[in-house]
Amino acid sequence: MANYSDLEYLRLSKGQRFAYKLGHFFTSIPSAIGRLFANIGRGIGKGVKGIGKSLGDIGSTFRNGDGITKGSFVIMGLGNLARGQILRGILFLLFEIVFIFYMVTTGAYWLSMLPSLGHQGPAQEYNPIYDTYVTTYHDNSFKILLYGVLTIFFIIAFIYTWRVNLRQAKINQEMREKGLRIKSGKDDLRSLVDESFYKTLLALPLTGIIIFTVLPIVFMILVAFTNYDGTHDGYFNSLFSWVGLENFNTMLSWEGGGNVYSATFGEVLTWTLIWAFFATFSNYFLGMFVAMMINKKGIKFKKGWRTILVLTIAIPQFISLLYVSKMFAKNGIVNGFLMDMGWIQTALPFFEKAAWARITVILINIWIGIPYLMLIVTGILMNIPADLYESAKIDGASGWKQFTKITLPYMLFITGPYLVTQFTGNMNNFNVIFLLTGGGPTNPNASGASGSVGYTDLLVTWLFKITTGAESKYYLASVVGILIFVVVALITLIVYNLLPSVKNEEDFQ
Amino acid sequence: MSKKNDYDPSEIQKRMGMKAKNRISNTVIYVVLVIMSIVWLIPFFCIVFQSFRVESTWMAGYVFPQKWGFDNYINLAKTDFWKWYTNTFIIAVVVAALQTVIVLCMSYTLSRFRFKIRKGLMKFMLVLGLFPGMLTMIILYRVLKDLGMTQANAVPGLILVYIASSGMGYYVSKGFFDTVPKTLDEAARIDGATRAQVLWKIILPMAKPIVIYTILTAFMGPWGDFVFARYISMNTSAGMNVAVGLQSWLSLDQINNRYTMFCAGGVVVAIPVTILFLCLQKYYVEGVTGGAVKG
Amino acid sequence: MATVKLTNVVKIYDNNVTAVHDFNLDIADKEFVVFVGPSGCGKSTTLRMIAGLEEISGGTVEIDGEVVNDLQPKDRHIAMVFQNYALYPHMTVYDNMAFPLRIKKMPEDEIYERVTHAAEILGITDYLMRKPRALSGGQRQRVAIGRAMVRDSKVFLMDEPLSNLDAKLRNQMRAEIILLRQRLDTTFIYVTHDQTEAMTLGDRIVIMKDGYIMQVGSPEEVFDRPGNLFVAEFIGAPKMNTIKAKLVRGDGEYHVAACGAVLKVGGEKGQMLRDRNVPTQDIILGVRPEHMVLAAEDDANAIDCTLEVNEMMGSEYHLHVNTADGNKLIVRIPTITLSPAQRESLVPGARLNVTCEGKVMHFFDTESEVNILYPCQAPIK
Repeated sequence: MANYSDLEYLRLSKGQRFAYKLGHFFTSIPSAIGRLFANIGRGIGKGVKGIGKSLGDIGSTFRNGDGITKGSFVIMGLGNLARGQILRGILFLLFEIVFIFYMVTTGAYWLSMLPSLGHQGPAQEYNPIYDTYVTTYHDNSFKILLYGVLTIFFIIAFIYTWRVNLRQAKINQEMREKGLRIKSGKDDLRSLVDESFYKTLLALPLTGIIIFTVLPIVFMILVAFTNYDGTHDGYFNSLFSWVGLENFNTMLSWEGGGNVYSATFGEVLTWTLIWAFFATFSNYFLGMFVAMMINKKGIKFKKGWRTILVLTIAIPQFISLLYVSKMFAKNGIVNGFLMDMGWIQTALPFFEKAAWARITVILINIWIGIPYLMLIVTGILMNIPADLYESAKIDGASGWKQFTKITLPYMLFITGPYLVTQFTGNMNNFNVIFLLTGGGPTNPNASGASGSVGYTDLLVTWLFKITTGAESKYYLASVVGILIFVVVALITLIVYNLLPSVKNEEDFQ
Repeated sequence: MSKKNDYDPSEIQKRMGMKAKNRISNTVIYVVLVIMSIVWLIPFFCIVFQSFRVESTWMAGYVFPQKWGFDNYINLAKTDFWKWYTNTFIIAVVVAALQTVIVLCMSYTLSRFRFKIRKGLMKFMLVLGLFPGMLTMIILYRVLKDLGMTQANAVPGLILVYIASSGMGYYVSKGFFDTVPKTLDEAARIDGATRAQVLWKIILPMAKPIVIYTILTAFMGPWGDFVFARYISMNTSAGMNVAVGLQSWLSLDQINNRYTMFCAGGVVVAIPVTILFLCLQKYYVEGVTGGAVKG
Repeated sequence: MATVKLTNVVKIYDNNVTAVHDFNLDIADKEFVVFVGPSGCGKSTTLRMIAGLEEISGGTVEIDGEVVNDLQPKDRHIAMVFQNYALYPHMTVYDNMAFPLRIKKMPEDEIYERVTHAAEILGITDYLMRKPRALSGGQRQRVAIGRAMVRDSKVFLMDEPLSNLDAKLRNQMRAEIILLRQRLDTTFIYVTHDQTEAMTLGDRIVIMKDGYIMQVGSPEEVFDRPGNLFVAEFIGAPKMNTIKAKLVRGDGEYHVAACGAVLKVGGEKGQMLRDRNVPTQDIILGVRPEHMVLAAEDDANAIDCTLEVNEMMGSEYHLHVNTADGNKLIVRIPTITLSPAQRESLVPGARLNVTCEGKVMHFFDTESEVNILYPCQAPIK
């Protein structure tokens, strides 16, 4: 791929320039991906180096430490208590006691069961008192997995805290030797509303996120490697166990004929991407168009028009979606109106035929989405410096030229990141699809894949159907969830690195 | 402007031509806007009209009722509708209060403080947000079930689920705080305030628009949530919110008796929320345009 | 007693960029010190380290003998005025000025005393109930100063407070700051990029470049005896003329060969050169525009040049001349010293002779750019 100097580039014709830029775009993709992996590698490298440094530091702490510091290797908080930091010392010690107690009583049990996820499931046992066979329950795979993961989290937290304890013991020892004052408990409390205020502010939100998002996600990722489903619920029906990559095989392998999952996955993924693309960009450009129309000089009642359109944001979306889905039904208002006017004879299959359904869904999404875009675009339009347009007008630029050369680039720059999040958000846009069509019309080729998959199903709605369907194949849901993540993450990363917003920040400032 | 331009006939012609062109394009725009307004408002007019229909309760293909009446509204009380409404209202109020606190804590911290794990934390939450939200439903349901917070008792369960991870939605608020000059914080700290006092006495009082925006969006969220509410209430009517409940009225076995009541219920749900939104519209717009796009 | 002492202060940012290198300075009680330099030289960073708004990467900062490195700003007994005023927008002027006192839980009547007293001094008593957005830039700056005044602070820090004001207001506020200093009688540390402010306000000026201190001295010192080329060109407007020249040691007399002319170095400077036995060498010659004079036609010790642009400034002409060997000089001539005929002759293209006395010449080493007679820190390349 030739690399032209600036002057050489300027001599090319328009067509040649386009070809040049296109070629460079494609050749830069592999290098962008390469850079991505390099960054990940570098990140891992930094992490490993950090751990190495930590270990080295622990070693030197031991070698250079006095009795108290060495003691804090075993009794956490000793390095604090012995030097007057009662509050911190007690907290460390308490944590250690709780941890040891937990591990001894329950933690060890969960950890030991983790590899097997339970040995004995429910069984029929003879109960002599009632003279009959009674189901007794034994191990609980679900609880094992859950508490096992929790225990691992706890262990990681403990190791980290132990490390902090060591570091503090070392620092305290050094400060004692240098004769410096060691922070007291009162100092600590005071700094919690000052320098360390961020710790106070973040404590609750981060705890919530860890418990209610990180933990479940880790759990569900692990479930993808088990056979947890409705018939193997881990306690009442039977245990579930690890199956390794078998589920991913089922979902993704291309064995001809019998494998309905990968075909379904492929179809649903394709439609998800197409949907996300059209949903995002149709809303974007049409919203921009509407915003510019209303914003034009000479148009009155600007606020009025905007308020009317904003109504669709105000009214809870589920009402709009559910009602509109019924409006376009076979016996709905729209068909009724068209037939009354004599424009059609039979009802239009808005949601009955695949292609119709897909187009209808995109159109209705435009109805929902334009007001948001209009608001955002209006706000941005007001921030474009007016003198850009004035000097363009003096230079003789027409309205369309001004749009393509000033408005559009500025818009794309500012809303670049927003577009990416909109795209990925639309990929996971459950409400619009599910409430309008329920994912239908049903795709006959995909009926075997757990839940009746339809032509408008997104990956997320499929996930929902798998979860709430008759068979509740949770492991399959996990696999789909992970795959959604992979696709979304890849797109986000690649596009983010290619976005001009990231590269040309200075141009616009 | 030289005299020539004012009296030269060709110039006058040109300016009149421009004015005419402008007027034509403006008229076209007005026409388009009127058509758009009609299209945008039609569904809402239809639902209001159909809610007053008395002669039948199934989904008929016409809009204007033959007989008008409030029956559908009155009959709402005979169903679980008001239970759903109360559920959703309680959830919305509690969530509005707690979520605002959590989001503001998170966004202020990320905007103002520089600590070691800050960048890593933001990247981590970005990645976390790429997972489909409902993936966590399954395990959350089972855990909440053990705690007794599902099905009929779904309200506390839902509240917990909504607010616990709300910290991840800090983007808009953080964008707003980023526009507040840091020298304001610094001046206050030099004046003797602790960072907690800076937040409470200086920043929050001037952050009224974003606080209102956060409260508004936090309040409106639960009214429209479908997936989590459906899963956690698990087919128990007493625990449903309005979205799940009303949707169930449109299922094949219920729609013939419930269609017009659905319309009525929809109107009842929509009106207060819409009025609230329209009153606070300017804060919403400020928040969306100010913070949302910073990304 | 409010002395400030910076010892080996260093600031290194996370990306390993060093913003301030080895800063050493002793500020006496009640002294008015100005940090001045181009943007990015580290002056604001140093000020913020004294204030406690930036972490100190190395070295110590002492206020009144106490090491304050680990103290929060509020515990350092300092007050600060910011470039963008940083007034609390939702509070009235009175509340803005009362804020630091209320944090200290001072009784309200004492607060009233102090605030109204400061407001009177600053002439903002009429605005006490207004909010900042209803004030002009100059008024806002006064409120910011007032907010800093009402406290008993040991050190008064000002970070480019006049940069956001227009030229006329700036001149006015400069005078007011001088008056303020007399009233407050405390230690001031003032940061600016404007050398005029530095010269008029400071007892001592600290000139910085790229994180290094170039020179510390009183306004007279840095003006008359600039330690290196950077200081020489930074202080004084228009900029000092600097040309490559050769310092020649003759028998008992020193000459400078510059721009095709030979200029005698007489007087004190000549004596100093003799005393130090400075050898013949290539130098950079520096002469301020106001020190150059028009010479007679036949003066052998004058530089031959052509007038390119003549700026009429009112009380003086700024003549931009080109010498025969391609150097450009600026010469400031008071209008009064010229006869009408002479004034008429100052048109583009006119041939002129300019010269200067030895005592206004500055000699800088070509390599290190240090002043040969009054050396100090070498500029960083």
